Amino acid sequence: MLIPKLPKATITNTMNATVRLVPVQAAYDDLLQRSLSKIPCDLARLIYLASTRDYNSGNYHHDGLAARFRPDVAGKALEIAHRQVFYQLSAYSLEDLVKQLRIYLDSSHESAADVLRIWQKLEPYRVAIPMEVNPAVARLFLSNVRLALAIWRFRQEQALKNP
Amino acid sequence: MIGIPTALLLGTILLLLLLFVAARGSVGAREPTSRSDVPLLDDEAALDPCPPEFVARIFSPDDWEFVSATGSPQLEKLFRRERKVVALAWVHQTSLAVRRIMREHTQAARHSRDLQFVTESKLVLLYAELMLLCGMLFLAIQSAEPQRVRGLAIYAGALSQRLAQAQHDLQTMTAGREFHSAS
Repeated sequence: MLIPKLPKATITNTMNATVRLVPVQAAYDDLLQRSLSKIPCDLARLIYLASTRDYNSGNYHHDGLAARFRPDVAGKALEIAHRQVFYQLSAYSLEDLVKQLRIYLDSSHESAADVLRIWQKLEPYRVAIPMEVNPAVARLFLSNVRLALAIWRFRQEQALKNP
Repeated sequence: MIGIPTALLLGTILLLLLLFVAARGSVGAREPTSRSDVPLLDDEAALDPCPPEFVARIFSPDDWEFVSATGSPQLEKLFRRERKVVALAWVHQTSLAVRRIMREHTQAARHSRDLQFVTESKLVLLYAELMLLCGMLFLAIQSAEPQRVRGLAIYAGALSQRLAQAQHDLQTMTAGREFHSAS
């Protein structure tokens, strides 16, 4: 997996004082090394990072990271990582996104057919979009996931028809 | 051979027609946005031009080739519909971003004491070109598949980035001059 370094512009835009840059970078690196690198694919990383965001406040929480750094620093690192993974995933070709979906479904503890049905019906991936991302990119992401799910379903049906 | 007055008249009619197309395109492109996929992200004030790598992705022929290789007419139909909506939303966003940039520039220019005619003219021409391109892209995407207008879309995307950069540079320069004259 290619783990990107925290972009300088992002840090400068989101942080007020230079002195605060180092802890966020350190928390970001820590998050990549301890948590994200152990997750099998970018799609799973996105879902994981989105799950650390509070539905009501939009703030990110991670107990381990907050204990090693500060809650606000951990929150900022999670927010940046979330946005980073989202943009990476949105830049994938449809073919690569279908591959990501396969890895995600294979690594899930639920049955792939059930996950597929729920994803197509409830579209839970919609809440996986970070705040303040480019709207056209967000649309592309949602559309591509819908397409990837349809392609995956089509393949499953074909496999059942022609075992 | 036509005379100069006829050529001028034809030119004016063509320009008005293109401006009409541009305006229609911008309004029409609103439609998919109003059936919003991502309403919370449609904050006009915060809109910036879409990064170039995503413009290339939206209009990429690779995805279409991948889908058509499945041989499923339903998937092909779904892809065409989905990608058209995304492409139109991109045109809408680009047009909004361009207008926002020009609005900001006009406001800043009102307070500026040393406007440069050449620079201002270039910006206005760039703005007009972009609005026309948005109109043309809107019509082209409606009538053909987005991947067929990839080159035009990438060009429009690059121009919108250039306009945003030019406006940013001008803002920085003006702020620098004002800082020097105040000190």
